[in-house]
Formats: sequence, structure tokens, C-alpha cells
Amino acid sequence: MSNLENNEKILKIFSNIRCLNRDQLPRYVDGRLTDVEKHLVEQHLVDCDLCFDALQVLQQQQYREKYQPLSASMLQYIRSSIKQVSHAHKAERYQRQEQKKESFLIYFWVVAAIAAGAGLIYLIQQQEKFKAPVTKAMASNTEIPAPAMNASAVQAAVVTPVRAETADTLRHHPAPPAAATTAPVAPPAATPAPAVPKPVVKDSVKAKVPAAAPVNKDSAKKQAPPATKPAEVKEAVKAPAPEHKDTPTIAKKTEDKPEPKPVPKEKKDDDDDKPKPKPATESAPSGTDEFLYKAAMVYHQQGDLNEAISRYKHLSGSSGKYGELSRYQLAVCYRSKGQTGKARRMFKEVVRMNGSMKDKAQAALDNL
Amino acid sequence: MLQQLTNLSDKELISRARKLKDQEAEGVLMERYSHLMVAVCLPYLNNGPATSPEEIYPSLLQRLSDSLKTQTIPKANEWIHYTIRVLQTHADKNSPFFPSTESRDQQQIEAKIEKAATNQKEQQQLIATIGRTLDKLPADEKYLLKEFYMHNKSFAELAEAKNISIGKIRQTLQQAKQKMASLLMNETYE
Repeated sequence: MSNLENNEKILKIFSNIRCLNRDQLPRYVDGRLTDVEKHLVEQHLVDCDLCFDALQVLQQQQYREKYQPLSASMLQYIRSSIKQVSHAHKAERYQRQEQKKESFLIYFWVVAAIAAGAGLIYLIQQQEKFKAPVTKAMASNTEIPAPAMNASAVQAAVVTPVRAETADTLRHHPAPPAAATTAPVAPPAATPAPAVPKPVVKDSVKAKVPAAAPVNKDSAKKQAPPATKPAEVKEAVKAPAPEHKDTPTIAKKTEDKPEPKPVPKEKKDDDDDKPKPKPATESAPSGTDEFLYKAAMVYHQQGDLNEAISRYKHLSGSSGKYGELSRYQLAVCYRSKGQTGKARRMFKEVVRMNGSMKDKAQAALDNL
Repeated sequence: MLQQLTNLSDKELISRARKLKDQEAEGVLMERYSHLMVAVCLPYLNNGPATSPEEIYPSLLQRLSDSLKTQTIPKANEWIHYTIRVLQTHADKNSPFFPSTESRDQQQIEAKIEKAATNQKEQQQLIATIGRTLDKLPADEKYLLKEFYMHNKSFAELAEAKNISIGKIRQTLQQAKQKMASLLMNETYE
């Protein structure tokens, strides 16, 4: 048993014991420790030079007196330095935390801003995607009416100047030399001719009512648009002056009413000086003949029958289409003047010429 | 915070002071040994230039604080003792503290015994080994060790019995212990 205890005590040789604490040091010097405690201290003293030296010093009375105050002040010094340090430490730590918080906040806001920006861009892109087709559609919609508008505008532009002055039409068309007689020359469309005349005739017939007043260009114009399509309007507009100047003659003819046909035909001729001249120009036998014929027509339509007759007479001598036409017109003039004998003779001549006007002339002859 | 730190061992405080740069831990460590420092330094106070307590203690603390960050410190008391000696001898050259081989051997044996505290078998083996080593020591040292550790005799009693000073008793014990430690370490290496 004692052997076992001794064996265990052997381990004490290498037991690690702490240095003497603040309390033990003076007590050991004073011999105020218990046996166990004293033995523990001495075990430690075997190894610890620091503690043994301290004890050796303290056992001298002169140092003993100095020890207590110095030890206390040393403790105070260390504690105060720790406190300062710890305060500084805490402040630093707090600052760091604050900085972390701030930086976190900054990061957060930066991230939030970036996210918001990205979202905005995304939304804008999406909107653009959606808008693109819509706007295209809108654009196409707007484009569609736009040409229509333009077209109408163009039409208006085309129509109005024609109303205003025939001179404008001159510019648009392959220039007959004399401006005065341009009106009949102008019309571009040969095709509308067949369709047009009838309504125009109606117009002119309507116009016959106010026909007494030769001023009715305007009224004719007014009547023309509702009655006919734009193309016809053009024609009607281009033609009006001559037509309605012509109306007196027609009015006179209406006295002979039995034959409405010649009137339309005549009208046709009047109106269709467009088609007629065209072929003429195509064949182009004589530009002068065409021009003279048209000039005569202008006089005819203006109601200056005598002048027209003299001009037609001058033309009738010429061979070809214009000779025939002018003879026919001469006959019409005579008929208008009431010189039916002369008119008949001229119609017969036309019939005899066996030209393109033969049928019309025959019809007129029959109606006389 | 201070309360928690005072409960830590020297080793933990040193590692805290070093790794976490915890100056509080450093302060607590200094506080723990401050009374010993004061006592040891007392004979050297007012001995010459720059030896007033207002100068010598702060400079000692500064020195300790500096070396704490760079040196390996297995035992704080040895490190402090060495630093004070250096300061007292006015050795300005910065000779770093290294624990002696005896001290290291002793420390390793102490660690072994601590480790075996919960293992009966290991403890028995250690006891046997230490007993054998003890027998290898000279009779004088063996006697002193046995009287001191087994029979709980104090320095004063031993000194009286041997008729030598307490210092001599302590020194003999220390040497015997160191011898044992080196013997034990060599035994384990063999």
C-alpha cells in the first residue's frame, strides 16, 4: 500500500505546478502557508528560477518594504494600459463593425441600383419588342392613308390648277405650242373618252338650263365633280370652258331638238377632241392642221361661229382627217346658225368623203 | 472579458495574444507575473542610469511584449526570468529566448504524465519507468528526491537534515530532476 502510494508520489516529481500567485508569495516568505500548500510551492520552486529568485529577494527586509507599493503600482499600470488598449480595441471593433455595416449598405444599394437598372433596361427592351410590331402596324396604317392623302392631294393639285388656269395643264403635257388653245390639247387620257362623254353630256345638258348665261363655267364646274369620277372631273374641268361656251350653240340646237344624238356626238367631238387629236398626233400628218382645227374648235365653243366657220373653211380644204373633221364641224356650225341647207350640203360632203365621221354625218343628215 | 481571460492558462493567453493580437490577453499574462517581476527586479532598482521603477518596469513590459510576438514560449516563467536577466545584464543585443534542453525534456515528461492521468495502465508503466530511472541516480540525489517528494519534507527540514543551505537543497533537487528527465527521455528513445 505504502509502496503504491510512493509509486504514485513519484509522479509528483514531474507534476507541473503554477507559479506563486500574488497572495502566496508574501505568505510563503512569512511562513503563513499550510504544509500542503508549502510543499506544493516548494515543488514548484525546484523548477522555477523566477519564483525562487523573487522569494530570495523578498526575504530581504529592505526589498520587502518596497515590494508591496511597487507591486500595486505595477498592477495598476498594466491594468490601465490594458483598459486603454481594450477601450481602443472596442472602439476599433465598433468602428470596424460600423464600417462593415456601411460597406454592406453601400454594396446593397449598389446591387439594388444595378438590379433596378437591369430591370429597367429589360423592361424597356421588352416594351420595344412589343412596340415594334405595333408601331410597324401603326406605321403601315399611317402609310396606307398617307399615299391616299397624297394621291388626293396630287389630284387636288392636278385638278385645281386646271380649274384655275389652263396654262398649268400646258406644263404637264407635251406642249402644244399655243397657250391659248391648250385646253382641248391637254387631256392626257385617251381611254376615258368613251366612258366620259355621256355624263359630260348630261352635265352639259344640265348646263343648258343656265346656258343662257354664258358665264356658267363655275356652275358647270360645280356640277361636274358630283356627276363624274375624278378623271372625268379633270376632263370636265379641262373641257368646261369650251363646252359651256359651246352651250349656246347647243341651246340653239335644242331648238331643233329632234336630234339629241348629234349633240352628244358633237359633244363627243368637242370633248373628244382629246382622242381625236391623239390619233392625229400619232399619224402626225400635219401638226398645223391639228392646231388650226383646235383653234377653230375654241372659237366654235366660245360661240364665235363666224370665226369658227371661216377657220373650218380654211381647214376643210386640207386633205385627210382634219379636212373631214373640219367639214363636219362646219356643217355643225351651219346647223347651229340655222343654215340647214349649207349644213346639209356639208354633211353630205362628209358622207361622201367616206371617212370616220361618215356615220355621224349621215345621222345628222337624217335628223336635219 | 478580463475575468474570462484570467481563467485561461499561460499557453492559451500567449496564443491569443499572438494569433488574435489580443492585447488584453497579453495584459492578463503580464499581470499574472507582475508581482514576481517586481520582486525579482527589486535589487536592480536605482542601481544606475535608467533603473528607476518608472523606467525599468515599463521597459521590461515592452521587451516582454515584443518578444511575445516572435518567440516560442513553452514556459512563461522561464521566458520572463530570462528576459529579466537579459535586461539586468544590460545585454542590448537581442538574444532570443530558447528553453534549455533540460527544460524541454522535463516539459515533455510532464506532458506525458498529464496525458497518462486518465489511463491507469500507462500511469503504471510511467511509474515503473520513473522508479527505474530514480534508481539510476546517485544516492545523494535519490535520497533528497525521495525525502522531498515521497515524504513531503520541506526545504528547511532537508537543509537542516543535510546541514546545507536551502538554496543548495533546491539546486540539488533541480539538477536531480533534470537528470531524471534526460534519462527518461533517452530511455524512450532507446
